[in-house]
Amino acid sequence: MLTCIKGGHVIDPANGRDGVGDIWMRDGRIVETPPGGGADESYDASGKIVMAGGIDIHSHIAGWNINTARLLMPEFRFGLPVRPGTTPLSAAGWPAFEIGCAYAAMGFTFVVEPAVSPHFALHAHLELADIPIIDKAMLAVLGNDDFLLGLMRAKESPNAVRDYVAWTLAATNGIGVKVINAGGSASFKENVREFSFDDEVPSYGVTSRQIVKTLQQAVDDLGIPHPLHVHCNNLGIAGNVDSALATIAAAEGLPLHLAHLQFYGYGKEGPRGFSSAGARLAEAVNATKSVTIDVGQVMFGQAVTVSLDTLRQFRARHQAKPRKWAILDGDGNGAGIVPYRYRAADFHNAVQWAAGLELFLLIDDPWRVFFTTDHPNGAPFTTYPEILALLMSRDLRSQWMATLPADAIAVTTLPSISREYSLVEIATMTRAAPARLLGLRDRGHLGAGAVADVAVYENDVDRARMFRSAALVFKTGALVVRDGMPVQHGFGRALMVRPERDHAIDRRLKTYYDERYGLSDDLIKVPGHAIGRPEPFELISCRQ
Amino acid sequence: MSHAWIDGAPAQLSDALAAAARLLDASRQPLIAGLGADVAGARAAAALAQRLGAVVDHMHGEALLCDLDVMREAGAMLMAPSEARARADTVLLVGPGVGETESELTQYVLGAGVTGRRVFWLCPGADPGPANKIAVIGRGVRELPALLAALRARVNGCPASGGAVSVQVLDGLAASLKAATFGVAVWSASRLDTLMIEMLCGLVDDLNATTRFSGMPLPPGDNAAGVQQVCGWTMGFPVRTGYGRSYPEHDPWQYRSARLVDSGEADCVLWISAWRAAAPEWNGDPPTIALAPADATFAKPPRVHIGVGAPGCDHDGVAHHAMLGSLAALTASSPSDALSVAAAIDSIATHLQTGPA
Repeated sequence: MLTCIKGGHVIDPANGRDGVGDIWMRDGRIVETPPGGGADESYDASGKIVMAGGIDIHSHIAGWNINTARLLMPEFRFGLPVRPGTTPLSAAGWPAFEIGCAYAAMGFTFVVEPAVSPHFALHAHLELADIPIIDKAMLAVLGNDDFLLGLMRAKESPNAVRDYVAWTLAATNGIGVKVINAGGSASFKENVREFSFDDEVPSYGVTSRQIVKTLQQAVDDLGIPHPLHVHCNNLGIAGNVDSALATIAAAEGLPLHLAHLQFYGYGKEGPRGFSSAGARLAEAVNATKSVTIDVGQVMFGQAVTVSLDTLRQFRARHQAKPRKWAILDGDGNGAGIVPYRYRAADFHNAVQWAAGLELFLLIDDPWRVFFTTDHPNGAPFTTYPEILALLMSRDLRSQWMATLPADAIAVTTLPSISREYSLVEIATMTRAAPARLLGLRDRGHLGAGAVADVAVYENDVDRARMFRSAALVFKTGALVVRDGMPVQHGFGRALMVRPERDHAIDRRLKTYYDERYGLSDDLIKVPGHAIGRPEPFELISCRQ
Repeated sequence: MSHAWIDGAPAQLSDALAAAARLLDASRQPLIAGLGADVAGARAAAALAQRLGAVVDHMHGEALLCDLDVMREAGAMLMAPSEARARADTVLLVGPGVGETESELTQYVLGAGVTGRRVFWLCPGADPGPANKIAVIGRGVRELPALLAALRARVNGCPASGGAVSVQVLDGLAASLKAATFGVAVWSASRLDTLMIEMLCGLVDDLNATTRFSGMPLPPGDNAAGVQQVCGWTMGFPVRTGYGRSYPEHDPWQYRSARLVDSGEADCVLWISAWRAAAPEWNGDPPTIALAPADATFAKPPRVHIGVGAPGCDHDGVAHHAMLGSLAALTASSPSDALSVAAAIDSIATHLQTGPA
């Protein structure tokens, strides 16, 4: 079937398009304008904005962590639009099903769950499989696991590390690798309470820096498109900008992605010893071309911090709001769930809000800064429309700042920033750039051959309203959302990479699992038949 | 050999499925209970509950919510069993039902790992079992609340009387726990109550002021821990959630299956127990559809019994793996044509009049 989206303002930065035109789709793909051009089905997009489907590279949408947060907080419904109290679903929870609907309503068609411990991979994929409409992927977490640290302690060759990383991705069906407070969780198991980039993990004698560099090199050598995804040390602590700056400097010309950088954007200036270092971080990112970042914007309201940074979550547990929490000393990283409420009247929370916006606005290349709230850590993903509006209007930012504590705004540079994002920059940051960062050649753009994931928005001066509720969304060519309401609930796939490895590592890990755990390594594998949906996975290729 | 029965008489499977659907259609408040099923079975049960306006509970719902209530009222430090096995140099067993002879998981944790590991057992109950290398402190579970409180006080340097145990013994134990480098407390929520577990979790948290300690609740079996996770991501809530008003509502008291049956509120039960012939804990005798092994026998015969296979034996599946501490794929050890719970529920659903297909 040939479908045409007619006469919309097409914004497609990957292909240099920014003007009125048509988008043609056939069999789930974008096609060239056909000769003769008789569409079987046509949608009028005149006066509307047409973009590729949005891509979110970092949102905690599936797995033991987020699911334990659900069980921990039955009284809250994160990430979902507040419904009036009288409507039928006002009391519903926040299940996987609603996550897909809420993302699709905003025009997003691909989301990455960024933190899955290998032992929870099957669980994460089962949840991902129950999220409708969108495609998804997950990052496997390494860097606190005994096997890797053991390889490094024994000074084994880079080949061994590469094979182990490839084995992990093959077992877990991940799209990339993340490291979370490298060495921090392993050190915490040995009663270490503070851990920085050049600190050594007890019993292993390797530093956090060495772990990051080892994994960065392995990911690059294997040709995995997404660079190593790094959660730095010392998240959330005053003065932690030094940790992030040290990590950025350690990129040393190779690709490195720093997650939720806002949470490392804190100095010790000002009368209260807490200030935004957003401008310093932005300067470092601007100067370090091989580094990409996502922001982890804070918005005011109830959130829940879910993280595999066990050390950080342990230290924060008694600040939980409301006062309840869960910490897991697990294999490798472990996990922690700590609810938190960001308040507009709170000095620290206001500084965090401003620091995130400073990163967005002071990093000059929209190809290297990504749109996240680190859902549900900084805010639920459903706040994206409000954040987009803030990026696109200096006046709106001024209105918000006028309601926040003046002493907090005074320790940021936000009032001095006049930049306003254009729609082309928004489309770059939320479509073209994340597709490139993940190595998805057929997504994030509207050129012929791309998967027909398309979002059509009203060109509303109220940008939050515009992005909250897409006029039309197509997933693989099928209409899935009309006027912000899902009209079809098919199930997408999880994308993964499968870099090559020397299978000698397989035998080695079989022995390791037997000796260390007394268990078969098969237990952590994710067989396709276990997911319970047809063709749940799609392989994307590595660099040659 | 028959795989389906109506009122105790062998029946065609299709007739039994249709009879089950008629009972559910006629029900004003259906209850899906037992729920000893794999992940696919639990997913199907949640979808059926949404369609019928049914309540979902698990046969180990009480134990699941005992542990969960402590976490969601206060907080909990937890440890993966594989980490406990590999690293824990101090193991504190708490209450009955957690000995090596009673729990494969305890056996797994104590079966290997750290040399010089010290093991303590508080209030093991009447028979401490093979306790030759285990220091037993306290006896019956009745002593446990006072003992845990006193121990926590002594760990924090506060005055306390030992009750049934001398203060010297308590202090010795407190010192041993504080001397642990990586300790784990093990309990079974099937045998303790919420206040005991909360005191124990508080003790564990306090020990982390100076050293590392975590807790390890024994999962209650019948894939209760796996079903709890499935409920979380499909319904947004733990077990004891009902769709009576079309949207999910969680209420641990209102939706306890025994209360629903004995009060007469639930007038039809879909009882699921795929691994064994578990019996419900209620006194009432509502019309029941049982998805249970074909050779199961019942004290109160169900109106419809559909024989189902056991995940990991008759068919592949996914369930919580106690030692891994996570969901894992199961491969059929002796594949058969027995229905899976998911297939049985989906087949019943094709016969239903209620709700959208």
